[in-house]
Amino acid sequence: MPQIDHAIELTDYRRQDFSVCLGCKICASVCTVNDITGNTNPQDMLQRIFLGKDISADEPLVRSCTGCYRCTGACPWEIRIPDVIRALRHELNVESPFEKAFKGSVSLFGRVYEPYVLMKAVPFLIRGGYMQHVTRWMEYMGFHLPHRVKRT
Amino acid sequence: MEYGYYPGCSLTGSARKLDKGIRQIFARAGHTMKEIPDWNCCGAFEYGDRKELVNFSKKNLEKARGHFHDIVTPCPACYKNLKEADEAYEFGVIHPLDVFDESFFQWTKQARDLAGQVFTPYYGCILLRPKETAIRNKTIMEETIVRFGGEVAGEAAKDRCCGGNQIFIDKSVTEKLSRIILEKSRGTLVVFCPLCHMALKTFSGERKVIYFTDLLLYIMGEKGAL
Ligand code: SF4
Ligand code: SF4
Ligand code: SF4
Ligand code: SF4
Repeated sequence: MPQIDHAIELTDYRRQDFSVCLGCKICASVCTVNDITGNTNPQDMLQRIFLGKDISADEPLVRSCTGCYRCTGACPWEIRIPDVIRALRHELNVESPFEKAFKGSVSLFGRVYEPYVLMKAVPFLIRGGYMQHVTRWMEYMGFHLPHRVKRT
Repeated sequence: MEYGYYPGCSLTGSARKLDKGIRQIFARAGHTMKEIPDWNCCGAFEYGDRKELVNFSKKNLEKARGHFHDIVTPCPACYKNLKEADEAYEFGVIHPLDVFDESFFQWTKQARDLAGQVFTPYYGCILLRPKETAIRNKTIMEETIVRFGGEVAGEAAKDRCCGGNQIFIDKSVTEKLSRIILEKSRGTLVVFCPLCHMALKTFSGERKVIYFTDLLLYIMGEKGAL
């Protein structure tokens, strides 16, 4: 639970803000992840957070939320559920090697330098069966030198 | 008119085609664009700490201060982040679609039309939601396609999510979602986001996936644009 509390602190919300949720489940009816899993419900997750219950790192929404803001767009209170989920991902440490490489590049260069990210993520890409897509990705390839953003 | 320009990381690498297209189109319409000096990454959707995320874009706005008022940024994630960071509405954070109007199209000069071709404008998520940061006209691409004689399809796909954000996390999610977009659309898919481009391109088979800039350059008579 302290983890969940800490995650909420990372957002613009306080736990009690979720008391406005009407339980209408409109968010669930439009949720992109729900479209493909049929059992994901952002309302249920918010309610559990509000009631001080734990959220597990295996929660399908925490794993697979695409950050599409469909839920926010449809919610009468426009609750930014993906921002909450993003904070949970951070706090529960469910980031993929690719996300870690992304952040590594940002702290090193100040930008996402794709060759660096790719290099760091190679084992993950091989394990994950990404090599089969390489022929379709040729147009994205190319080399350029990194730009280093000045520290301020 | 002079615009500040925030290309963002993808546009310096895998989405350089989008970058080139934007620069060409703005030049043709008589606008100049200058990059924000030494801009940094906007953090995309990768940071759970809201303040940390917003600070990336605040830094970029600081770097733009005194140089530009209106800042053009094509990548939907960059655009949303930059717009959200401009809390005092000090700048005009603009998506290229926001400048498509009568005078813009007069300047750009038409060389070809789209007769007999079918297009699905696929806006995806971030250009349309949340509404505080959405583009001004949510049917601008449909209007543009019709204006130049093309046929518009795929109304049911245009604001769905392609799952691009999950492509390097769990690509089975992206595959399922992108296939829904492909099924619900027809003709060439016209996209706005580097990640949408990659997600759809990965699973599109024979279907064409292009940037909106490719379509405009084609209309303007550019060789090899489509
Ligand atoms: S942002 Fe996440 S929770 Fe909200 S609708 Fe999209 S996938 Fe579902
Ligand atoms: S749409 Fe909003 S108010 Fe309705 S259940 Fe979901 S979070 Fe609660
Ligand atoms: S959203 Fe993507 S492209 Fe835009 S600045 Fe951030 S990482 Fe770079
Ligand atoms: S990649 Fe797809 S999911 Fe991500 S911002 Fe673009 S539209 Fe949305």
